[in-house]
Amino acid sequence: MLVPLTWLREYVDLDVPLEELAARIHTSVAEVERIVRRGVPDDDGNLDLYRAGRVVEAGKHPNADRLQLCQVDVGEGEPRQIVCGAWNFGAGATVAVALPGAVLPDGQKLEQAKLRGEVSKGMILSERELELGQDHTGILVLEDGPEPGTPLADVLPLSDTVLELETTPNRPDLLAVYGVAREVAALFDRPLEPWPGSDPERAGNEQIPVKVEDPEGCPRYIGRLFREVAVGPSPPWLRARLVSAGMRPISNVVDVTNYVMHALGNPLHAFDRQKLADGRIVVRRARKGETIRTLDGADRTLDERDLVIADAEKPVAIAGIMGSENSEVGESTAEVLLEAANFEPVAILRTSERLGLRTDGSNRWEKGVDPYLAEHAARLATELIVELTGARWLGEIDVKAELPKPPVIRLRPERASALLGLKVSPDQQRETLTRLGFEVSKRFDVTVPTWRARDVTREADLIEEVGRFRLDEISFTLPLRREMFGRLTKEQRLRRLVEETLVGAGLAEAYTSSLVPNDPEPNAIRLPEPLSADQAVLRTTLLPSLATAVERNVDAANDEIALFEIARVYLPPADPRPAERWRVAGILEGGYGRAKGVVETLHATLKLEPRFERGEHAFLHPGKTARTEAGFVGELHPARLDGSWGAFELDLGDLFGRVPDRLAYEDVITYPAVRQDLAFVVPEEVEAGELINAARAAAGPELRQVEIFDVYRGEQVGEGKKSIAFSVAFQSPERTLSDADAAALRQKIANTLAERFGAVLRSGT
Amino acid sequence: MTDNEATVAAVDWEAYERQFEGALKEVTSLDDLEKLRVEYLGRKSALAQALRDVRDRETGMRLNALRAKLQAGVDSCAGRLQAAALERELREEQLDVTLPGEHIPRGNYHLLTQIRREVEDIFLGLGYQVVDGDEVEDAWHLFDALNMGPAHVTRSPLHTLYLNGDIVLRTETSPSQIRVMEETKPPVYMVSLGRVYRRDTVDPTHFPIFHQVEGLAVDRGITLADLKGTLLHLARALFGEDREVRFATDFFPFTEPSMQASVSCFLCGGAGCRVCKESGWIEMGGSGVVDPNVLVNVGYDPEEVSGFAFGLGLERIAMLRHGVPDLRMFWENDLRFLRQF
Repeated sequence: MLVPLTWLREYVDLDVPLEELAARIHTSVAEVERIVRRGVPDDDGNLDLYRAGRVVEAGKHPNADRLQLCQVDVGEGEPRQIVCGAWNFGAGATVAVALPGAVLPDGQKLEQAKLRGEVSKGMILSERELELGQDHTGILVLEDGPEPGTPLADVLPLSDTVLELETTPNRPDLLAVYGVAREVAALFDRPLEPWPGSDPERAGNEQIPVKVEDPEGCPRYIGRLFREVAVGPSPPWLRARLVSAGMRPISNVVDVTNYVMHALGNPLHAFDRQKLADGRIVVRRARKGETIRTLDGADRTLDERDLVIADAEKPVAIAGIMGSENSEVGESTAEVLLEAANFEPVAILRTSERLGLRTDGSNRWEKGVDPYLAEHAARLATELIVELTGARWLGEIDVKAELPKPPVIRLRPERASALLGLKVSPDQQRETLTRLGFEVSKRFDVTVPTWRARDVTREADLIEEVGRFRLDEISFTLPLRREMFGRLTKEQRLRRLVEETLVGAGLAEAYTSSLVPNDPEPNAIRLPEPLSADQAVLRTTLLPSLATAVERNVDAANDEIALFEIARVYLPPADPRPAERWRVAGILEGGYGRAKGVVETLHATLKLEPRFERGEHAFLHPGKTARTEAGFVGELHPARLDGSWGAFELDLGDLFGRVPDRLAYEDVITYPAVRQDLAFVVPEEVEAGELINAARAAAGPELRQVEIFDVYRGEQVGEGKKSIAFSVAFQSPERTLSDADAAALRQKIANTLAERFGAVLRSGT
Repeated sequence: MTDNEATVAAVDWEAYERQFEGALKEVTSLDDLEKLRVEYLGRKSALAQALRDVRDRETGMRLNALRAKLQAGVDSCAGRLQAAALERELREEQLDVTLPGEHIPRGNYHLLTQIRREVEDIFLGLGYQVVDGDEVEDAWHLFDALNMGPAHVTRSPLHTLYLNGDIVLRTETSPSQIRVMEETKPPVYMVSLGRVYRRDTVDPTHFPIFHQVEGLAVDRGITLADLKGTLLHLARALFGEDREVRFATDFFPFTEPSMQASVSCFLCGGAGCRVCKESGWIEMGGSGVVDPNVLVNVGYDPEEVSGFAFGLGLERIAMLRHGVPDLRMFWENDLRFLRQF
């Protein structure tokens, strides 16, 4: 919302520094995004160099066919010679002149110059050069010829300061200069001017046939009829205001509708009455397939959900959003039907979203405009149309459903103080609310003004009104907590531990997208309307995304690539929601051994003994994949990525579920361990992990430690066999194990392994 | 006097000792020391000879004492010479101590994890719980319970990613607040951090997934002043002890009053610079007093308890504080980027 200060001052008399004004609006009303200066820079006496001038003489430049050489009286006694490129004026015209030294709106400084041999002591200005409009075809000729030398700023809005506000969606009343003025008046305790606009005398009482078939969508429709309308350009003040407010001047009638919308917040529309079939207005839902060519030249197909303004035959506007070419006000228009209506927000929002058509009008309607505003808007527009187009106002109709009564809410001032954490006396609260247009009874029954009726419906909303004017006064405190202490859950603590372990092991943490182009799981959840094909599926595994991240690092020629990620996967079925599981995955240079080493370290940190067995995973090397209780470790399938990459993915829930809550002391010091090396010859297909698992089961807890330190293949063990050497430690917490005890344990192991795997104990020390 | 006794008596043992001490001072090498030792203490030395020949106890004790004294002199000299020799040797092993050390691979926390932990720790210190919450949510917990009615703009598929029916990817972490409140009685002090999803086109400041931290405190007597104090604490912990925080009115369906919190610029201190777009202030995030409808929706009595809530983006904190120019870098995982932090 652009708020030109000259416009704002029309409604509230203000005399505060700009910075203070902006700061207080920012805190209590709406974010001030920017402060923009429009037009001629208003500093260092620059405005004094802009004067009204009378052309005393005008003729062709002696050396240039396309230039005029003028003598212009700017009130200095002697006229000035000025060279000009435009021909739309002649001697006697009053024009806008900038004198040498003047800084133009575009920042350029005007210098005295020689043009084709003739001195030019100034510049005759077009409205575009003054940023008063887009017209650059000719020079701005001042109507009513002010005296030569009159400061131009006295007759034209040469410069303005514009506040650019980012208003919140609950405050459509702020999409109006008058609405902002109301807030400013309340903030600074200044009087607010009464509603602008008053009806001129009506010159007739013609009937206007208006039928509202959908009073829910259109609770109010004011139509006003004007004849003898002279469509033409608006006066400079109006054009300047529209430009300052970010709108394009079009013609006096259209400009008035835009001006009133910006002034009061009620969008208006003007129809060329003679183009309406039967001169009739019907507010109804569109018929399926009905088409309309909107003012932007686009043909649009409507359906029954869209509210339209129609004449006896066809839609002539999409209600609240945009008019149609078939009823547009143009130069030849002589009769105007002015619409000052009220539309319900939801239908407007839906239609505007569906058609992808957002306008200044739809932007206001979709937030909910006060239905009582229509009459104020109609009045101001009527006054201006009559004044600016010379039209006669001949008829009026106001079709309305029963308009909602303003809500009345009980406020407890002590509750406001308590909730804000700031003592605000009841009188102060009453004063704030009253200044904002609320009526506050003795007992604090608060009547909400109609323009806030949608937003303020509860006591909490009134408390906000009290609070937002005092945000800076509220102190900084901390809650007086009861019964609460801050602590991570076991899962959260372990997740941090996993992060720490992996970082300690040399892996860098990656973040990859949960939405992937495809997933190995055929039932993975697909988004019905994804952002793009690359972000279509909720992943069930982290490894593919992590592989992509690794690949990017390979391409960037980064060294020591080792990445991990802790994130969720989303497992089908979604009934109704998928299972979200935390996973940890890693990929690192150096193949299976590195990855398994990391996984083992991770288990050791968590005080877990992993069990590895041969496994399969679509993403991993078929010969180098192991399964654990919590997931997989292996080598990345070479088809996925060149080179030898270790990879793992573990489910943290499965992992953490087995982490002991408490570790009990075991005596590993009092009685010494008996250490032995055992080598077993086994058939090639027997895997070490199976031997270890079987050995543990056979020997029981007195087998404290078992590790593999060598695998040997060769003549001594024979074809198709291998020798696996273990280093074992036997220990009891209760006594010193004798050689005989150790021998017995060793024998148990040997027997079991012989029985189950045909293992032959080759040596034992 | 026997011959033996004569041999012993023939030596002036005091002179013997003086000569030894004098010679010992001249010794500069272990070889010389060994020669000296052989001369004065060796098998053929006068002292050794005399010790073999001595017959009276008193002389014997004197000579023994002398031998011990001379031996001690040799030992201590040997110690000195060995230490000096070792020192000389070590000096020859001199290393370029400025060469790099042995390489130990270093891992790295993602910058967003670092910030996540910082924020978690700040609130753990204030007595809050950390809640993870699900990313796939239903419309009740994401929208309705948070006072966003069926017509609310964010519910449109133009903004929100739907899975099916009313199952959605959460657009903010606040549904976890609803779930916690549904399950527990007040007081509730919690922060919820994690991934959120919006239908945003990827550009330097947008990515369809980003990370939010949302906080909620519901208790008896919670005030807007408590919210201000909490966010001031957070801003100072994240951006420096000198920071100030200011609040401006805003609108969110789930809070009333609603406010935008800004922190004074940590770069220019408020004078205006590129980071704060010349305003001196940087927007932190939305906040407000919990709307009574939200409390009612979870079965709390707004007359009994009140609360505040706030939300911030972790990426935004990281980008501001560390000057990261492009949000996409967080997702590209280029080690050159990751290892900077």
